[in-house]
Amino acid sequence: MRTSAVAGIIFANINDNLLKKLTSKRSFASVPFGARYRIVDFSLSNLVNAGVSSVGIITKENYRSLMDHVGNGVYWDLDRKNGGLYLLPPYLTSGTKRYTGTVDALNGAIDYIDRCKAENIVLCRADSVANIDIGAAVEAHIEKGADITFVYHNGEPPINNEETIYPTFGNGKRIKEMKFGIKSTEKTDYCIGVAVISRELLMSLVTEGYEDGAVSFTKDIVAKNTDKLKIYGFEHKEFVRVFDGMDSYYKASMDLLNSDVRRQLFNNNRPVFTKTRDDMPTRYGTKSEVKNCVIADGCVINGTVRNSVLFRGVTVEKGAVVENCILMQETAVGEGAQLDNVIADKNAVIGEKMVLKGTPEKSFFIKKNQVL
Amino acid sequence: MNSKKCVAMLLAGGQGSRLGVLTSKIAKPAVPYGGKYRIIDFPLSNCANSGIDTVGILTQYKPLELNDYVGSGKPWDLDRTNGGVHILPPYQGQQGGNWYKGTANAIYQNIEFIERYNPEYVLVLSGDHIYKMDYSKMIEAHEESRAACTIAVLEVTMEEASRFGIMNTKEDGTIYEFEEKPKNPKSNLASMGIYVFTWQKLKKYLTEDEANPSSSNDFGKDVIPAMLGSGELLKVFRFNDYWKDVGTVNSLWEANLDLLNPKIDLNLADQNWRIYSRTTGMPPQYISDTANVENSLVTDGCEVEGRLDYSILFENVTVEKGATVEYSLVMPGAVIKKGAKVKYSIIAEDAVIGENAVIGEDPAVYSSDDWGITVIGDRLTVGKKAVIKPDRMITENVREGEVK
Repeated sequence: MRTSAVAGIIFANINDNLLKKLTSKRSFASVPFGARYRIVDFSLSNLVNAGVSSVGIITKENYRSLMDHVGNGVYWDLDRKNGGLYLLPPYLTSGTKRYTGTVDALNGAIDYIDRCKAENIVLCRADSVANIDIGAAVEAHIEKGADITFVYHNGEPPINNEETIYPTFGNGKRIKEMKFGIKSTEKTDYCIGVAVISRELLMSLVTEGYEDGAVSFTKDIVAKNTDKLKIYGFEHKEFVRVFDGMDSYYKASMDLLNSDVRRQLFNNNRPVFTKTRDDMPTRYGTKSEVKNCVIADGCVINGTVRNSVLFRGVTVEKGAVVENCILMQETAVGEGAQLDNVIADKNAVIGEKMVLKGTPEKSFFIKKNQVL
Repeated sequence: MNSKKCVAMLLAGGQGSRLGVLTSKIAKPAVPYGGKYRIIDFPLSNCANSGIDTVGILTQYKPLELNDYVGSGKPWDLDRTNGGVHILPPYQGQQGGNWYKGTANAIYQNIEFIERYNPEYVLVLSGDHIYKMDYSKMIEAHEESRAACTIAVLEVTMEEASRFGIMNTKEDGTIYEFEEKPKNPKSNLASMGIYVFTWQKLKKYLTEDEANPSSSNDFGKDVIPAMLGSGELLKVFRFNDYWKDVGTVNSLWEANLDLLNPKIDLNLADQNWRIYSRTTGMPPQYISDTANVENSLVTDGCEVEGRLDYSILFENVTVEKGATVEYSLVMPGAVIKKGAKVKYSIIAEDAVIGENAVIGEDPAVYSSDDWGITVIGDRLTVGKKAVIKPDRMITENVREGEVK
């Protein structure tokens, strides 16, 4: 039987602590983003748009919402007999603890890696949003005869994201050195959490590293072997946001109001797929006033909404004014309420005439199911 | 194969010639509706929500897009191991084969399909109506009355009655006469084209009808009158909610704008009776700084920079700066360029309306009495500053500045 040449592995819980408010009841991968998506949709779509038909998602905790979202993978065409979607939670039978690092996590997924029979594996951290041409990255990887290829971007780095690799290039984009924890706000090259590696090399590095007590696959194994391993960079030039805190989440959401960002992130040739909900189209009432907003289906808008991102099923009643906000699924904004710089998690209810104001630096946060 | 209590047969072969250019490439049930649906989503979703999991779709006219759209039936939860959705085109057997000659003949040619499920009842549906209906209640009523056939009916006004198939009934709902488009209607109970048959009875009458060379093989014209003539028990099932035939340009336009009418009760947001549709991976809609959107439905993939009022934008529509869309439907992928004015029109899929073009007109402003909805065919381009008058059906590209 023909097996896919490339398989994918997604890390669902890396950096959960960076978006604590949004990850108290869900994994990083299942954090809602961009009006109708979850963060994992970008990794999953990037993989399947490159023809990958076998994907393992490594998760360690809070994975109920992730399971609910990805299901059997049908929305990404990953409901397959041959390959498909595998959720890889920790085995608790073998006396192991929950994953402490990526080596541990990959070791726990070693059976999947062994059996998927792909030639190359694409590792993806679900802590960023970008529409990456993974097919081209894999091609470059093969062409150069690389051991590992890291996808990188030149831009303002996510300084609080400690997993972020800062590469130093030698000839032909060969990575000579990998640094971590650079606190520079200057534009620089940084890796965006996607890497291509041959399955066999991954197997051997993980098995050896695990025995040697390595914790982080990149820091403890790859970065220490830049001389022995042929490591290359593949540049992703278009929009990317690697999250490093709530403000980066807010910023990335507001980036969507920019048409270039939308064009790059929602590339027509590489669509972003997500779970469908069968909402009706969004309904704009008489006297609704909407300016500069990204809006999902299923909303009913009778008030004023400016510079905001509305997820599926949000209602904004008459006389309400919503500005600079991110309102997640089913948020209900009552008549005459005023919201500015608010992030509302799912199913929040904002009563009539409530006034909630945050600042661009620190948005006002409403918890899931909270009634105000 | 497990037997099924009821199998639904959906008549989707009609050409829908009165929709003109809108059905020049697709069958009527595949015509877009309500921003993100196709007409066929209604009977299919009704089946799924009524617990009917076996549906045969009878196609013959331009089936490609419809087949593609229905696919495995997944969006309607009709991808089943036992049952599910089946596309049934006419086929050749050892003795040759025929196109479907009429609605009854279409079912007759698929007796074998129905028999595989050994059903007690067969529900016959058509693919050109917008309505939400719990078929299980109708089947229940049919079962209780032990009728051979139950026909769903709607009360219409006496004036409208002469456009429909009318059921003349006794007080208890027993049908004693069926009249197709009567000049002087005796009743206002119009057939909705939804029938529940006891399968063994239907099979008998279909076989007899097929053997009758003078029959037109139509349910309304032949089978129902034959059943009445033989003294079978036929009952009506009254339906009181929203139902609309979308067989003409005007009724299609109206049925769409009904979604924006607060007085009309057709709630597609009802969680308990979802209308499902096949969706593609479109990004969320974007409404810009320069946009002005009121009384409208807008869906995924749309980019709006202009003005919308009483209109429906389907997937992936672009309305550029300074453009105006009023009382119109803009179907998937269409582009309304800068400064264009679209009023009381239907713009079909992927059409491009050039800068400052004027399409259609408000009936209150247009003095002549030949007013009507203007239709621009799919994939057509209307040039800059072209003017398309009301009631036109455009089937070819229109050049810059041209007046039609």
